[in-house]
This record gives sequence, C-alpha cells and structure tokens, in this order.
Amino acid sequence: MTGVSDILDWARQKLAAQVPKADLDQRDPDYIRDQLPGLWLLASLYFRADVRGLDRIPADGPVLLVGNHSGGNVPPDTFVFTLAFCSYFGVERPFYQLVHNLVALYPALRWLPKFGTVAASPDNARLALESGAAVLVYPGGDYEVYRPSWQRHVVDFGGRKGFVRLARETAVPIVPVASVGGQETALFLGRGQVLARLLMLDKLFRLKSLPISVALPWGLNVTDWLGHIPLPAKIVIEVQEPIEATDDDQAVYDEVIASLQAGVDRLAAQRHFPVIG
Amino acid sequence: MRVERRITLNADRDTVWTVLKDPDDYPSLLPHLQRWEPVTEDPPGVGSRYTVLWEVGGIPVGGVIEVVEFDTARDLAWISITGVTQRGHFRLRDAGPGRTTVNFRLAYHSDGGLLGLIADRIAARQVGRSLSQSLRNLQRLVES
Repeated sequence: MTGVSDILDWARQKLAAQVPKADLDQRDPDYIRDQLPGLWLLASLYFRADVRGLDRIPADGPVLLVGNHSGGNVPPDTFVFTLAFCSYFGVERPFYQLVHNLVALYPALRWLPKFGTVAASPDNARLALESGAAVLVYPGGDYEVYRPSWQRHVVDFGGRKGFVRLARETAVPIVPVASVGGQETALFLGRGQVLARLLMLDKLFRLKSLPISVALPWGLNVTDWLGHIPLPAKIVIEVQEPIEATDDDQAVYDEVIASLQAGVDRLAAQRHFPVIG
Repeated sequence: MRVERRITLNADRDTVWTVLKDPDDYPSLLPHLQRWEPVTEDPPGVGSRYTVLWEVGGIPVGGVIEVVEFDTARDLAWISITGVTQRGHFRLRDAGPGRTTVNFRLAYHSDGGLLGLIADRIAARQVGRSLSQSLRNLQRLVES
C-alpha cells in the first residue's frame, strides 16, 4: 500500500525534475549592461546602498562568494551586490548567483538566468566554478532570510556546510560578504518552522520555513510567496578577506561565520536607526 | 550627458601639464576614485589603458579607459573601453601671461533606455561636484 512517504518522495522527485540544470550560456552580459542603470537607481536612491571592500575579491579566476542573507523573498542584498560586482569587475567577468529551487522555477522570474542566476545545487555550483566563474551563494537561504527582525544582525546558516566542501573540492577561495539592512525592509516575526513541518513543506519543497511578517502592501504576510514591497532600508555591504578552504570543513565553516559576524557587527555598530541607517 | 567645469589657474600651461601628464597621479587629483590601476606598462601616452572606478551613489561605476589624446600642454582625453560609455577631456589654453584656463569635460552615457537617461541625469550632480573638486585639487597642486 502506498504510504505518505512514497507520495512525498514521488512529489519531491517530480519537483526536482523541474529544477533546471544550469545553462551557463544563458548569462547575457549585454542584457546585464542594459539593466545596470535601473538597478543603480534603485540601489542608490531607494536603498542608499554602500558597498565596500570589493578590492578584496581576487581580480580573476573562480571564487566562492558567501553571504549572509536578509529580506525575505525580496532580498535587496542580492541585487545590490550583483550590481556592485558587475560594475566593479565589468559585466564581462563571468558571475553566477545561486538561488532557491523555487525561485528558479517561478514563472515571473524567468529573466533571472540572463543575470547569471542558477538554481542552487552542488552540481550547478561546481559547473560554474569549474568554468572559472565567480559564484555567489547564501548558505542560510530560506532559513536565514526569514529570521525575526530583532535577530537582524545575527549570521545563522543553520549549520549548512555544503559550501565549504564545494570550495575544498574545487580548490577555490571563499570570500565572505557581510551585509546589513535587508532584515529591516519588513517586520519579520518568525520562521514558522513548526508550521512548515506540520504541512510537510520541508519534505515537499525543501522549505523549512513558513514565515510570518508585517509587510507592505499586505499587512500581515504569511509565507511571503508573493513577495512584498520592501521598506527603503539602507543597505550596507562589506566584502571580507578571502579564506582558504582546508581539509577541516568545520574549522573553515567556523572561520567564515566568524568573519561574517565580525563584519555584520562592525556595520551594525555604525547604524544609528533601523531603516534610516 | 556632458558635464563641464572650468578654472583659471595662476600657472603657465607647462606647469599645469606636469601634473596632468601622468595619469598615475590621478588618484590624488580626482575625488571619489575607488580604483585607478594601469593596465598597460608603457609610459603614459596615446594608447595607455587604466582600470578606473568612481564611487557614484555608493556603487563603483567605471571600467577600462584608454588615452586617445596626449597633446603636450594642450589636451589629454580618454574614452572608455568597458563599463559606462564615457569620454573625459582636460583642455589647457592660455589665459594671459603665466595663466592657464583648464576645462575638464566628462561626457557619459548609460545603456538601458529611459532608465539610463534618468540615471545619467541624476548622477550629473555628483559628477559635476567631482569635476569641480578635481580642478580645485589641481589648483592646490600647481599654485602651492
């Protein structure tokens, strides 16, 4: 007799089959170049973005950029950093961003691959790194991005260490990217992990959260699946010193977390008010 | 979008040129520079290339530029090879005995249609301030 777990396995396999394997050729530098002015306007005027330390990123070759993630389903840190990276190194330098599988499948975001956005999977990341590209990953993903707003300056990957193994196996440096401000774009009340487990979303969709927030234009916002209008919080991003991936994954993981937390603490100490910055 | 600022200095053109002729010194001249690195190894001249990034609105903007005019004590101009399309120009002309008028022009154009036009227009204010500050820095260097 077919059990619930069989049905879940079947549903998971069907969903996984929908997740596209990265086609690196979909990245289109001309398209990115066309979009940069609009992104610059949004970043400069709305989010008053301030990006520092880009010179710490190796000038060429593959690199794994590891960031702390904030802002629910509308994370401004991703697009601000993508804009800054493409402006600093030029759209010609291959640069890919890993996103949650559901984001990669979302019909309204089918233009993302032109920016170099690919579904987050070890295979896709390896493919991009082995092609010599820079890759941006947010290991905390859907877990970190929905943390309560009062924990906005806490870096929490939920113990996800896959990025360390990836860096070690591909022999690329890890460059931590610390950011603050994203978790002030709405009032995030909690992850709703218990609710996600009860609804079996973690097994079906790899969603470990069913977040609850107060956000525009919805008011009380459950799931954030339709996104929200982010408050114009000042976004500050600081690139940290590169870290070499040695054989001790736990030590490297701890070093990355410590580097990011120190960066976030430093940036947070310079903030006077939420949202305003 | 073209932004231009002008200053008349109490120095002859040769004196002004000694400062402007070496783009390697531009980090001390141009404000809001985040990156200025030579790409080519030859002495400065036509064909010299540099990676240049200005901080505009908190985001680095620029790319690789190439010097296209290097006319001693008269003109130094560059165009962009990558990044935002731009042409910069220092123009030196006599303004009487021992005096020089320096025009600093920066013409630039962002892609992206209407949004590019809006971005260019909004950035013009900061670009204008940067050009003015550059000329004040130049004045400090040649008149001190």
